[in-house]
Amino acid sequence: MATYTYNGKKSFAGEFFDSLATFYRKRWLLRYFVRRQVTRSYKRSYVGLAWAILGPLIWVFFLTLIFSEVVGLRFREVEDDPTLNFGLFLYCGLLPFMAYSEALTKGLNCIRSNAGLVQKVVFPLELLPFTNAVASLVDKLFGVGALVFFVFVLQHRLHWQVLLLPLIIVLQLLFTLGLTYIMAVVGTYVPDMGEVLRPIIRGTFFLTPILWPPETLPENLRFINDYNPLAYLVGAYRGMILEGTLPGGLATLYFALFSVALFLAGFALFVRVKPGFADHL
Amino acid sequence: MTPAISLRGIGKKYRISPSRSSRLEEILSFGKAKRSHEFWALQDINLDVEPGTTLGVVGRNGAGKSTLLSIISGVLRPTTGEVEVEGRLSAIFGIGTGFNPLFTGRENAMLSGLILGIEHEEMVERFDDIEAFADIGEFMDQPIKTYSSGMRSRLGFAVAINVEPDVLVIDEALSAGDSAFKKKAIQRMYDLKDSGSTVLFVSHSMGMVKRFCTEAVLLHKGRLVTTGSPEEVVDHYEEMLAKSQEMKDAGTSKLDKQLDYEIEHEDEDDTPTKDDDLGTPNPRRIVGGAEILGLELLDESGQPADALSSGATLTVRVRLRYDEAMEDSTLGITLQSERAGLEVFSTDTALEGAPLGRKDEGEHAKVDFTFGMPLAPGIYKVDASLTNPQAEDSNVARTQDGATFEITREGALAPVRGLVRLPAKVEIHGPEGRQERPA
Repeated sequence: MATYTYNGKKSFAGEFFDSLATFYRKRWLLRYFVRRQVTRSYKRSYVGLAWAILGPLIWVFFLTLIFSEVVGLRFREVEDDPTLNFGLFLYCGLLPFMAYSEALTKGLNCIRSNAGLVQKVVFPLELLPFTNAVASLVDKLFGVGALVFFVFVLQHRLHWQVLLLPLIIVLQLLFTLGLTYIMAVVGTYVPDMGEVLRPIIRGTFFLTPILWPPETLPENLRFINDYNPLAYLVGAYRGMILEGTLPGGLATLYFALFSVALFLAGFALFVRVKPGFADHL
Repeated sequence: MTPAISLRGIGKKYRISPSRSSRLEEILSFGKAKRSHEFWALQDINLDVEPGTTLGVVGRNGAGKSTLLSIISGVLRPTTGEVEVEGRLSAIFGIGTGFNPLFTGRENAMLSGLILGIEHEEMVERFDDIEAFADIGEFMDQPIKTYSSGMRSRLGFAVAINVEPDVLVIDEALSAGDSAFKKKAIQRMYDLKDSGSTVLFVSHSMGMVKRFCTEAVLLHKGRLVTTGSPEEVVDHYEEMLAKSQEMKDAGTSKLDKQLDYEIEHEDEDDTPTKDDDLGTPNPRRIVGGAEILGLELLDESGQPADALSSGATLTVRVRLRYDEAMEDSTLGITLQSERAGLEVFSTDTALEGAPLGRKDEGEHAKVDFTFGMPLAPGIYKVDASLTNPQAEDSNVARTQDGATFEITREGALAPVRGLVRLPAKVEIHGPEGRQERPA
């Protein structure tokens, strides 16, 4: 039996763990929400979920066509078929980046766009950013699946390192969650953030080795790659899916620590300001 | 007994800023520049609500009623004070709020249940009840965006009321349903009340508050002014309204007053009200001497009826007990349209030529009035009264609330336009001066 008490005396730690426990208490709701979010974009189309696979395939096709054939960028050689190299390379880098940019933009709006749930229902608000983050990662997983399939079809073999990718994705989930929680708070309290965010996302796109290979950086600019968590993700994805290499242990440890810290900080911030959301919308 | 709801020193403060940028100036000046002012939507609210109470919350617009209910529901946090709510709380704020317009009624019902913390399976079990109660047919599987506001309101209410809440909070959620649905909803609220649930209820319909609530509170400018029986509180409220009206517009025209009255009583039209609330202009004195024990509505087959189709035959059965011997008495019934707010039909034993005759003390009587009802669809109310022919200006006995039933469109023999279908005949004549000749 749910009993609701508010006496303003609860400690911050109490509220923090209470919010964490909500994920278990409301697991049915959580499941429903994630499923809903994942299928949302496909729900009203004719082929439905097939778009989740078709979309990335079309992406890979065009990226390959434009960059390998038209522009003629070939710095990664795929055995027997050099035309494919850049499309796959680019798409593999785009996947973690898209997850990141979606986390920011969706996180920014996730409280505002659910004003009804905030103001009219007793809704466990901590589920909203979580749902967004998980749904956009799940969406990207379809992309990873499509990419792995492509690599297999073209190269007739896969690297065993792909099997370890889920571990990276777990870390990525924490990273994404942290960002989403922070953006949810910022987006609710600072309406101008939408405008600020666009250049930030564009900037990080160019600062992250997505269009260019990290080896091309001059020595004095190496830090752009070294201190960029996104660059770590992009590198790890590429290594494990395309090249058959594992990311460096120390770098992985740093990224893991950073992700956990980001998640805890973001979640704590969210729990802290959550009571004011209903007043602020 | 621990109260179902306990409020201690509740206050809610809002900051009113003229614009966003002025708020920014304030922040940047570290609070030195004062651009906004504080506004207390609620102050010093102390209240204990025992389980099983139906509490009416009344007050003018902006008095803080919705804020109070939002705080009790846990949607808003109070600035000061403590809230305690025991058990599962289900709240309805406005029409179909919290629904996602792109998802179907069924999905939204599921979602609402899950939000309340009900497990998936349990919710699936309740679906039949919810569907039956909402009664929106195949729209249940259509996106909410295709719903009329009445349908949204029905679904919202159906969900909130069928999750067996310990505390039900209703903020003006009934205003969009039609009268048949309202009747059903009120019936269900009575059931909940009987099963010991606590109901909190905001309404501008004083009739509803008086009829339905066991207790009431009056909020004025964010403070709790009166707590007590619904009658007391409603009286106090109406007094307050009248006073502020007098102060505001001494000497406004009669039309204005009439409009004010109508606005104030707007949503009472199709909710069952006590017959002396505003109905009969000159309520008769009740002198006593007999009691009306029951008033039943029966259909043609003698079964109790609460919905009949236009044109059907209704039997009104009145059971009486005489507490003192009476030489003669007349039993009358009146049929009132709740929608039109007027008497449609009335008759009595004398008029129908069936005198009751002499009755002894303790004698019982059962009287059936049977008549056809070529009436327009809507809610109708039947009342009965017993008069003594020697003293026609007073009633011996009268029903308090009468009985209501619905005339439905389904199965009507012929459509009724207007309020009643009168026996009519149509003859068609040809143009003047020319003899119409049958072919």
